[in-house]
Amino acid sequence: MNGLLNKKLLVICTLIFGLATGTAQAETILIKGGKVHTLSDRGSFESADVLVVDGRVQEIGLDMNVRADRVIDARGKVVTPGVIAPVSELGLVEIGAASATNDNAVTGDSIGSSFDPLPAYNPKSTLIPFNRAGGVTRAVVFPGISLWGDSVGDPQRVFAGRGFAIKLNGDFDSVVARDVAQKAYLGEAGGQLAGGSRASAYAKIKNALEEAREYRSNRASIRRGDWREMNHSIADLEALQPLIDGEQPLLVTADRASDILWAIELAKEFSLQLVIAGAAEGWMVADQLAAAKVPVVIDAINNLPLSFSSLGARLDNAALLTKAGVTVAISGPEYASTHNVYLSRQSAGNAVASGLPYEDGLKAISANVAQIFGLEGGSLKPGAVADVVVWSGDPLEVTSYPEQVLIEGEPQSLVTRSTRLRDRYLKPEQGHGFGYKY
Amino acid sequence: MQQHSRTFGRCIAAVFCTALLLSGCGGDEKAGADKKSKDFARQDAFPSTYSMTQSQPVLIQGATLLTGTGEQLENTDLLLKEGKIAKIGEGLKAPKDALVVDGKGKWVTPGIIDVHSHLGDYPAPAIESSQDGNEMTAPNTAEVWAEHSVWTQDPQFALALAGGVTTLQILPGSANLFGGRSVTLKNVPGRRVQDMKFPGAPYGLKMACGENPKRVYGGKGTAPSTRMGNVAGYRSAWIAASEYKEKWEKYRDNGGDEPERDLQMETLAGVLDGEILVHNHCYRGEEMAIMMDIAKEFGFQISTFHHAVEAYKVADLLAENNVCAAMWADWWGFKHEAFDMTEANIAIVDQAEACAMIHSDSAVGIQHLNEEVAKAMTAGQRAGFDIQPKDAVVWMTMNPAKALGIDEQTGSLEKGKMADVVVWSGNPFSVYSKADKVFIDGELMYDRADKARQPHSDFELGILDAEGERL
Repeated sequence: MNGLLNKKLLVICTLIFGLATGTAQAETILIKGGKVHTLSDRGSFESADVLVVDGRVQEIGLDMNVRADRVIDARGKVVTPGVIAPVSELGLVEIGAASATNDNAVTGDSIGSSFDPLPAYNPKSTLIPFNRAGGVTRAVVFPGISLWGDSVGDPQRVFAGRGFAIKLNGDFDSVVARDVAQKAYLGEAGGQLAGGSRASAYAKIKNALEEAREYRSNRASIRRGDWREMNHSIADLEALQPLIDGEQPLLVTADRASDILWAIELAKEFSLQLVIAGAAEGWMVADQLAAAKVPVVIDAINNLPLSFSSLGARLDNAALLTKAGVTVAISGPEYASTHNVYLSRQSAGNAVASGLPYEDGLKAISANVAQIFGLEGGSLKPGAVADVVVWSGDPLEVTSYPEQVLIEGEPQSLVTRSTRLRDRYLKPEQGHGFGYKY
Repeated sequence: MQQHSRTFGRCIAAVFCTALLLSGCGGDEKAGADKKSKDFARQDAFPSTYSMTQSQPVLIQGATLLTGTGEQLENTDLLLKEGKIAKIGEGLKAPKDALVVDGKGKWVTPGIIDVHSHLGDYPAPAIESSQDGNEMTAPNTAEVWAEHSVWTQDPQFALALAGGVTTLQILPGSANLFGGRSVTLKNVPGRRVQDMKFPGAPYGLKMACGENPKRVYGGKGTAPSTRMGNVAGYRSAWIAASEYKEKWEKYRDNGGDEPERDLQMETLAGVLDGEILVHNHCYRGEEMAIMMDIAKEFGFQISTFHHAVEAYKVADLLAENNVCAAMWADWWGFKHEAFDMTEANIAIVDQAEACAMIHSDSAVGIQHLNEEVAKAMTAGQRAGFDIQPKDAVVWMTMNPAKALGIDEQTGSLEKGKMADVVVWSGNPFSVYSKADKVFIDGELMYDRADKARQPHSDFELGILDAEGERL
C-alpha cells in the first residue's frame, strides 16, 4: 500500500511546482515526514511529504527536495485530509436552549422544501473555531425541523429545506456550495411530523415529487395560471426540481429497516440520488442499500434501542454496511449535537473497534462525505484542495488531537473559547486577577 | 487523586457503617440515641435484596493494574476470592477450581462507577409512558424516590455493563429545586430494583440549580422564575426541614406526642442529619459558590456538583469546601449555562486538589466512560499538567465511590474491597480497547468471549426476531 514515488513523477512535480510558484504569490507549505493517509488511490505512506501550493495539494512523495515558504515537521505525526461533517447546523445554532440564537428550524404550512437557511449562516459562530480545532475543515449545514414545540401538529412540513456546505475558516465567504442537498423525514420522525403515521409522511413526499414532475412538464402554463391549482407553492416545487432531475441528493431520515426499503422504492420511482440519514437498522438491509447504490450517514456510536424504529441499533452497523458495499459516512454523535461534530472521529474509532477496516473509518469522516455530497476535500492527491490535518497520533484515537489544520492551504488558528477559558483559570484563585487575563 | 476531606469521609463512613444511627457532619455525636426517630433516611423501607455468591475464585495473571489509588502495577496478579479482592502481587498461586484469566497484554481497573445515570428511569425505548425520571409537578419533590421508577428490564443496563460499569447512581431529573432521592445500584440483572440496590449505600438527594427549575416553573407562572427565586426556594425548604428535624429530635429526647411523618421533610432532614448525600445539578461557578454558602447556613454538606461545566472557575472553593465535581469531557452549548466549557475542566479541578470525576448522564456515554476519561486526561496534559492513566482512572472509579459514600467498599483494587473488577483488552484509555470481562463481587457478570455470560433484558427477547437475539 505504501507508495514509492517514482523519480519521473518527482521531476514532473518539481517542474509543476516551478511553474506554480512563477504565477502565484500564495505560501507554499511542505508537510514533512508524517504518516500520510491520502484516502485516495495514492494509498497510505508510513512516511511521506505533502507539498501544498496555492491552496492545493501539489504532490505527495518521499523525501521531497523542494523549497517551501513554510515547512511543517510531521515526523511521528499522522497526516490526513480534514474531517468533513456530513450533517450539522454549524453557523445556524449557537446555544441550543436559547431560541434567539437558533435559525435552523422554521414552522409554517408549506411542505418546507424551499426553505433556505443560508442567509442565517453566521461564520463567526463560536462552534466553528472549536470544531476546526477538532480537525473539521468542511461541513454540510442542514436545516432541521424541531420535533418538539410548535412544529409538531403541523401536518404539512416533511421537508426541512436546503443544505449548503462551508469551510471552517470562519471567513464571511466561507460558504463553498449552495443547494448541496435537500432533507426530508420518513420513518418515525416523518410520522410524527405528518400527522401520526409514517405512511402519511411517505405519501406527502411522494405527492410533492409527483407534483414537481407535473410542474417540470408544464412550468409555463402553471406560472401563467393556465393550469389546475397546485397543492404546493411554486417556490417549493422549484426547490424539488434538482431532486427529480437527479442533480441533488435527497437526505432522508429513516432508521427502521422497512422504512429504509420504502425510501429506496421512492428513489427508484423518481430516480432520486437518495442518502439515508440514521439507518440504525441499515445492516439488516445492507444488500438492498448496496444494490441501489444508496449511501448512508450514521450515528455510529449510538447503539441504543431508543425507539421501536431502532431496535436493531448496534455498534458494528458501519462495519456490516461497509462490508456489503454501502458507502458509509459517520456523523458526530447526536447526543453531543452540532457543538461537537468533530467527535465523529471518536464514533469512527468505535466503529473500527467494532470491525470496520481502519481506512474505511477515516473515509467515513472525510472522503465518503465529500463523495456523497459532491464536495471538494476528503482526500489528498495532486490537485485536491489542501484541507489537511496534522494529528499528534492516530486521528481515530481519543488521546490524539490536531496540531496543525490547513484549510485551502492556509494554516488555521487552533485557539478556541475553550482554550482561552482554560488558560484564564489554569490555577483558579481568590481575587480579581482573572478579569485581566486574556 | 486527591483525598477527600477527612470530615466528609468520616461522615460517609459513619453513614455506611451504621446505616441507622448517625451524627451530622461535624455535629456533636450523641451515643445511644433513639434509632427509630432518628432514621430520617428510612434506609430499610425498601431494603436491598442484592446478593452475590462468588461461585469460584478468580486469578488474573500478569496484567497491568491501574489500582484506583494512584498506582500502575505491571505484570501483576490479582486474586478474587469470596467476592473480595484477596491478593495483589506477583506469582500468585491459583486456588483449586479457580477461574484463571491470562492477563498478558490486558489491563485491569476497578469497576467503573457512574455517579450520574438515569437508566431505568429514562429507559430505552424512550416512549412517553416510560419517561419516569422527572416529577415535574412542583419545585420541591424531595418526597419521590428514583428507585420507584426504575424499570429493571431497561436494556441499557447490560450495554453499560459491557462498557465496564459495575455501580451506578440513578438520579431523578433536574426540573425541580429538589428532585427527589437517588439510589445506588450494582449493575446486575434484577427482577426488582431491590435486587440491584447496593447494600448499605447511603441515599442521595438530587437538587438542581439554574436554568431548568426556573424555566419549568417560571413557564407555568409559578415560583421560581429566576435564579434568586431558586435560592429562596432552597432556603425556605431548609428552614422547614430544620424545624421538622428539631421537632423529631425533641420528641426523641423528651417524648410526648409523636410528630406527623412527612416524606418530603424526611429526605431533607436526612440531609441535615448527614445520612443522605446532596447531589446537586449545577453548571455555573457563581451558583456553586452560593450553594456552598447555603449548605453552611443550614449545616449540611454537599457531596457533589453534577455537570459543573464551570467547576474549573471555582476549583479552589470546591477543594476548600470538600465538594466533588462530576463533569463531562466535552459537552457544551446546549444551554447558556453550559456555554463556558473547557475540555480541561476535570483536570483543573483535579489539580486544585478537589475531588474530580467523569459522569455520563447518557446511556451512550455510560458505555464509553473510559474514552471520556481519556479525552479529559489528554486535555489536562495539553494544559501542561502531568496526568497519567494511573491518576485519571481515579476519575471513573475511586472519586465517584467517594461521592456516593461507598469508597470503603469499592472503587479501588485494594485487599478486602468488593471484587468489582474490569479486565480490558488493552489500555483502557484507547478507543480500541474493550472491557473483556467484568466482575461484580467476584462473579463474572460479562464476558465478551462468551455469549452465555452476556445478560439480556426481558425486553430484548424476541423483539427484533422472534427466534434470534437482538445483538
